[in-house]
Amino acid sequence: MGSPKDLSKREGDIKGAVLYSFVKAMAPGNKESAYLHLPTYTAGIIYHIGTFLTLLLFIVFMVMTIFGIEIPFNLSFLTHFTLIIAGILFFTSLSGLLILAKRVVNKELRSLSGPDDYLSNIITTLTQLVTAFFMIFSTAKVVYFVIMTLFFLWLPVGKTKHLMYFFFARYHLGFFYGWRGTWPQKSPDRDYGENRHK
Amino acid sequence: MEKIDINKREKAIDLLRSTSDSKLTTHLNACVRCGLCATSCMYYLTFKKAKYIPAKKIDLVSSIYRKYCTTMGRVAPALVNAKVLDEPMAEEMVDSLFGACTMCGRCVKHCSIGVDIPFIVKKGREMLAAMDLVPKTLQSTVDAAITTGNNMGIPTGEFVDTIKWMEEELIDEMQDERARIPLDEMDKDIFYTLNPREPKFFPLSISAMAKIFYAANASWTLSSKYYDVTNYGYFNANMAEATQIARNLYNEVLRLRGKRLVLGECGHGSRANRWEGPNYLKKAYDFETITAVELIERYIRHGSIKLDKSLNKELCTIHDPCNLVRNGGLLEQIRFVVKSSVANFVEMNPYGNDNFCCGGGGGTLAMSEYNDRRLKIGEIKANQIRKSGAKVVITPCHNCVDQLTQLNHTYKLGVQIKTISEVVADALIITKTN
Repeated sequence: MGSPKDLSKREGDIKGAVLYSFVKAMAPGNKESAYLHLPTYTAGIIYHIGTFLTLLLFIVFMVMTIFGIEIPFNLSFLTHFTLIIAGILFFTSLSGLLILAKRVVNKELRSLSGPDDYLSNIITTLTQLVTAFFMIFSTAKVVYFVIMTLFFLWLPVGKTKHLMYFFFARYHLGFFYGWRGTWPQKSPDRDYGENRHK
Repeated sequence: MEKIDINKREKAIDLLRSTSDSKLTTHLNACVRCGLCATSCMYYLTFKKAKYIPAKKIDLVSSIYRKYCTTMGRVAPALVNAKVLDEPMAEEMVDSLFGACTMCGRCVKHCSIGVDIPFIVKKGREMLAAMDLVPKTLQSTVDAAITTGNNMGIPTGEFVDTIKWMEEELIDEMQDERARIPLDEMDKDIFYTLNPREPKFFPLSISAMAKIFYAANASWTLSSKYYDVTNYGYFNANMAEATQIARNLYNEVLRLRGKRLVLGECGHGSRANRWEGPNYLKKAYDFETITAVELIERYIRHGSIKLDKSLNKELCTIHDPCNLVRNGGLLEQIRFVVKSSVANFVEMNPYGNDNFCCGGGGGTLAMSEYNDRRLKIGEIKANQIRKSGAKVVITPCHNCVDQLTQLNHTYKLGVQIKTISEVVADALIITKTN
């Protein structure tokens, strides 16, 4: 990642701006990509929650496998919990399918897309679906690990790599705007005192 | 398009091969092509074509990156949308990166990921510059700056005459021989710079700033040779030329032993000298560099100048230059100065960091081949102005002034376009001292 080297005189608060970049700047009210596109934005948020949940469960399953704990959860008190998680993942994967459908149907978005865009969506959506199945049916074990392997193989080469680059991009953006004093966003009427430039 | 020289093409691709530039690597890999940036771009909002979606523009650059700098791009280019840099691609890049992006950065703030789109656009322009594919109109502006010291090629004698004329006018107006416009004076507190449009077309904005300096009893000077605040090398993205232009100004400040470099009202010029200049020259500047807006703000806050708002009665609004506000952090300072100078003020919608570009950024004013496109996208700004109800549009950028003046005429807005120094000068209370 690394901080860019900048020889100009810093004007603002980098830490505050990076924090702003990750929190307030991401608020739906601050982004046209959110408030002008609420259905897509909502589907995207749900889809990404599903992805992170899938990755979290993958870690849990790996730990369970290492320690020889049977998958899926066969403890009765966890049955309902398992079903709820599986239900959530079915729902989140549906969001992924809707996003995919939009890419297929929308002419402009289609012109912006290549195989990577479709493949990345399909693989990620499949990971959510297969995780949900695996939580209910132990017979899906092989399919589950094959799909997850495919996901991890595709992760660094396809656009799924934004899983990492998203965080780097937000950092760089915070650094850039923070250096120049643009972020954290100021109120146009705020009196910041006379010593700012001294 | 002529065939691209293979060595130049390699130089262009080499610009993407840097493994030490984490920012470049990040932004080349971060876009997910969701297309949601479309509705934040003036070009897309105006023309409603996919080629104007910011993600589409930067994909031209990142697809080349994938082709030449990633394993998958070499092995299975079709799978990851990796493309060769050939003549049709270069032609598309020229049209999209020079002719369809003002690098205003509005899309960045609204990008769902946070991809620095103008940063990638500029990298694409650098690639085109390496292949000698900068539009000739823009290149001639840079050439003028390199050969004559200013981007309009104004001969020194003509510039000096204009300054002397403005000085005489100022002395007459102030009835004071000390109301000067100093040229080439050593050891002054302020080394002031101008946009060459001022001596060429708007000399009154020079006398407006001189009047402020006079009122503040400032120690200042202009250079007769290197007074140009602009750096179109930032736009043509030829780093050697951008560096040369920045170095000329830097050396002139040192030659005249100026203590502070004050950047005249120019958005990209302020950006190029304040934020990019030290990086071009690869050294921190050994003098303070601030904009005219910040200097005036200090004068007001410190009581160095007194203003009477009632002298500017008409309803005023601000057009925020992208390079001074979104990319320069001067949101508050501009408003403080304007609100201290005018009696009636209204914001445009949107404004500040969300403001739309005037349409003249990114060097488009210098590229006449894109004039129609530039004026069409400017309709968004024209509508903003009209809806605000303001009679005066204030902006601290002469390129914006130029574009807004053309929009005023094209869309029959019936407003006045003024710089900040003009508004402040109109509100000045001059106290005569012996």
